[in-house]
Order: sequence, then structure tokens, then C-alpha cells
Amino acid sequence: MNEAVAVDVAAVSKRFGDIKALDGVSLRVRRGEIYGLLGPNGAGKTTLIRSIVGLIAPDSGTVTVLGRKLPNLDVLRGVGYMTQQAALYPGLSVEENVEFFAAINGVHGGVKEALEFVDLYSRRGSVVSTLSGGMRQRCSLACALVHRPQLLLLDEPTVGVDPQLRVQFWERFRRMAADGTTIVVSSHVMDEAERCQRLGLIQFGRLLAEGSPAEVRDQAGTQSLEEAFLRLAGEKES
Amino acid sequence: MSGRRIAAIARRLLEGFRRDRRTLALLFVAPLVILGLLGYMLRNSSTPAVGIVNQDSGPLGSVVVTALQGSSKIEAVTVAAADGDAKLKDGSIVAYIVFPPDFSQRAQSGVIAPDVHVEGSQPNAAAEAVQALQQALVSLQSARPGGGVKVQPVITYLYGGPSLDTLDYFGAAAIGLIVFFLVFVVTIVSFLNERSQGTLERLMASPLRRGEIVLGYMIGFTVVALVQSVEVLVFCLAILKVHNSGNVLLIFGIEALMALTAVNLGIFLSMFARTEFQAVQFIPLVIVPQMLLSGILFPVAGEPPALQYLSDVLPLTYAVDALRAVMIKGADLSWMSLQIDIAVVAGFVIAFVVAGAATLRRRIA
Repeated sequence: MNEAVAVDVAAVSKRFGDIKALDGVSLRVRRGEIYGLLGPNGAGKTTLIRSIVGLIAPDSGTVTVLGRKLPNLDVLRGVGYMTQQAALYPGLSVEENVEFFAAINGVHGGVKEALEFVDLYSRRGSVVSTLSGGMRQRCSLACALVHRPQLLLLDEPTVGVDPQLRVQFWERFRRMAADGTTIVVSSHVMDEAERCQRLGLIQFGRLLAEGSPAEVRDQAGTQSLEEAFLRLAGEKES
Repeated sequence: MSGRRIAAIARRLLEGFRRDRRTLALLFVAPLVILGLLGYMLRNSSTPAVGIVNQDSGPLGSVVVTALQGSSKIEAVTVAAADGDAKLKDGSIVAYIVFPPDFSQRAQSGVIAPDVHVEGSQPNAAAEAVQALQQALVSLQSARPGGGVKVQPVITYLYGGPSLDTLDYFGAAAIGLIVFFLVFVVTIVSFLNERSQGTLERLMASPLRRGEIVLGYMIGFTVVALVQSVEVLVFCLAILKVHNSGNVLLIFGIEALMALTAVNLGIFLSMFARTEFQAVQFIPLVIVPQMLLSGILFPVAGEPPALQYLSDVLPLTYAVDALRAVMIKGADLSWMSLQIDIAVVAGFVIAFVVAGAATLRRRIA
């Protein structure tokens, strides 16, 4: 297995009833990079991320994470997953939530560091149900990274997050990537895509294009990613 | 399996309860209110008023009236014959008994014939009145000149005794029912929350095994349920003074098994609900048949045969039987029937644990 590859998705297909959520998707995420999954709502981004954390078994194709083929429970120790909505226990405090996710991932400590990383240490005693949406999102991020995963999967982490916080989030992602964490982040916001090292454009469960933002623009022959996306999506359909 | 991860889930549940006052009240205050009401209702129920009209020209009528006035089953009030029907209609009496002018005379010749007028819409109250009358008529035996036959059966009780009352009978079963019901409701809703707030998805994307999640939940809720069981038991025995001739630890053990059944049934059924409203719909489905068919109100042996088959597959049937056996009959573990009851309830627990763990992965997607 190639040491430089963190995630290897090979020809993965998944149907839900009549809907093809994923249709022969193949992509590779290199270790230590920020990989953006870009596409409109319902394109299959969430399904792809869920199949990388083993929540969905593909109908065909294979997923290899950190050198091990799924399904594999042990590999999940090295994976952090942040769901679309901040999935937290509303009756627990910020610190209790983070402690809980540390414990089920089998680590002790790291709670303080995680809370400081998302600037919530001073609010650690607050009950989650009393927090603002942005703070919940930050708490959710802390829960996903408290066990220092090698691979972090973020499903639209900045939806409903104000621009200031969004900038902070990306700043943090970059710091983590610099420390060697591989990050896969889904988004339908184009200016976020520019911040990724490499991109996968997804529509109707298919990978339209892959490469650095510049490569994707060149491939489509357009000035912006937005135009590139529209052009590539149009070509596929026709 | 990691004990630490299981403990983390159990601890998380308990931490959640700490701040959830409403659920705490449901678990720890509601049982006392329900049992307290039941106890007060059954122990201090007022006796139905029964009108008495004594027109007897002889001595025997007043002998029976005196006996009726001393009865604990009814409250005898003297009424005029003409008012009887009106009082039945306005509800101030449930029945009235007329001793006709020739009552003594006919009694001498062996015909004892009081007229009983019953309101009729409340079978229980009327039955009490008739029963009281029958007991009062026994007093005629001694009053009747010439003696006659003495009726004096000697009653020997195998279990319980003459002081065993309705509360003793229902109380034993109510302990099981209340623990089962409340623990079931709280479990099904909590587990459903885990899914709807997205945290279950997070748990499934962690190294946790399905068995660890189910076990963690089971332990957390069992701790809560055991505290509740102790509370209910102490309340029943010390305050309501429900009759108990068995071992208290054994009762507690049966309650604990009951709680385990409820927890695991709750986890299992929550897999089939998508919203809290759907979860609430399971409550009558699970609770009502068990209330009617598990022998709490009506003995299983008295049911139509077809329903008995249904009763035989309800966990509460066995738990209620076991609780009554211990508390009323003083059964201990050497009793074959108790061994069977306990084994069956334990079997239900295991079946629900396996079913819960098996459906967990499937229903997450």
C-alpha cells in the first residue's frame, strides 16, 4: 500500500432505492493535504464521507483508509468525523462532551488542548443547549479532533457559520494539515474550495474532475472555479 | 469489548440525567405519586350507602338491620319506603333493602325474603350491598326461635390471611409494572434522541462496537432503574405497608430483572421509530396489553384460552407472577414455579439485548 495515500476510494457505487448516490467514484487523498469535496446539495458528498468512515457499506468498489481496507473498526481510532449538524449531547457541558468523545476513542487527556484549539476553554463548563450555533460547531470540531486523528473528515463544517468564524476554521484546518493531519472537507461554497490543496468535483454521484484549484480551472478553461464547475457539469450532462 | 468505553457511555447517560429535572421527576417522583394514590384509594375507599326500610311487624327485621348497621362493607342509612326510588335516582344510595311487614312471620316458616332494590349501573357497589345483606342474614340463625342449623365454616388460609386486602394483591404487581413502564419510556426516548441529534452516527463512526453501545446503555439505565426499584420497594413496604412474606432481596432481584427487560426492549423498539412521536406510539402498544393480560388485574388462568397464549409471551406475566409468589406466598428460590418465572424473564432480557445489538447497525443509515 502506498504510504503517501491516506484515503483510496476505488470504483465505489452505492444506491438508495432508485437513487444512485455514488456511481463508480474513484479518488485518492494524499497524507497531510486538505482535500475538498465540492458539489451541490445532494451530489453525494455526504454519502462519500460516510462510506469513508465505514457508516455505509458500498454496493461495489473498495475503500482503503490509512492503509487498511474497510470495514475495519480499529482504523477508526485514527479517524475523526464531524457531522453536518453539530451532533452533541445538549444536556452535557462542553467539556463533558469532549471528554466523552475522547473516552470512546480510547484516549485520556487532550481535552484541554482541543478546547483551546477551538477557543472554548473558557466556556468549558457551559451546557451545550445554552450555546450559540457557532459555539456548538466549534465544540463539535473539538469532539472530532480530541483524539488527534491522522485523518479528519469534515462534512460541511462551515454551514451556518458566520464569515469571521469560517476564516478561523480554515486557519485551524491549515494548522492541522501543517502538523501532518489529512483533512477531507466537503463544501458547496466555491471560495472555500480555493483554500484546498486538491479538489474533487462531484455531481450526481460521479467525480467530474480532480486536481488543484488551478488544475481544475485549466481543465475547464475558465477563470473561476464556479465557472469551471458549471462548465464541467454541463459537459457531463450533454 | 472495552470496559472503559462501556463505562464512558454509561457515565455519559448519568451525567445527562443529572441536569434533566423533568426526567428525574418522572423516574423518582411519579412512582411515589402513582403508588401513593393507589394505596390511598384502595385502603381508604368509602363504603357505598345503602338505604334500609324496616316495616317488619315482628322482631326479626330489626335484628338484621342491627347487623347491617354494624357491617364494614356498607353504610346503612334509614330511609322511608316512598323515598327509596328517588334516592336511587339521585345517587345518594346504591341500593335499598325493604323488610316487609310479614318478614318475621315468613321467616318462621323458613322463607327469608327481604326486597332488595338495586341502582344497577355500578355492579361492584351492588355486589357489596348484597354481600353485606347475606352476612347480616346469618344473624337470624341465632335469633330464630327454636335454633335450627348453625352455619359456621372454619376458614384456613394457605397463603396470606383474612387481613390480606386489595392493595396487597395489586401492590405486589404494581411494583413490577411501574418500574417496567417508566424505565421503558425513558429508555426508548433517550435512545431515540441519540439518533435524532446525530450523536449515534458519531458513535458508529468511532471504534465503539455495537455491543459496547448496547451494554453501556444497559448499565447506565440499569443504575437508574435500580435506584428507582429501591425507592419503590421501600415506599411500598415501609409506608404503604404492602403485605410481604418473602425475602426483600429476592423482590429487588425480580425488579432488577424487570428493569433490564424494559431497558433492552426500549433500545430494541427505538430502532423502529424515527421521531419521538413514533416512539410514544409504542407505549400503548407495549404497555396496554401487558396491563390487561399479564395478570395484574385479572388472573391469567381466568382468561379465555386464546388470550392465555398471548399472556404466555409477555414478560410482565412472569414478573408479576414471581412478585406475587414472593410477596404473598412467601416463595423462595427453591420453588420450581419461581425458578421458571425468573428464568423466563432472564430469557427475555437476553433476547432483547441480542435483538437490539443486531438492529443497531442496520437502522443507523
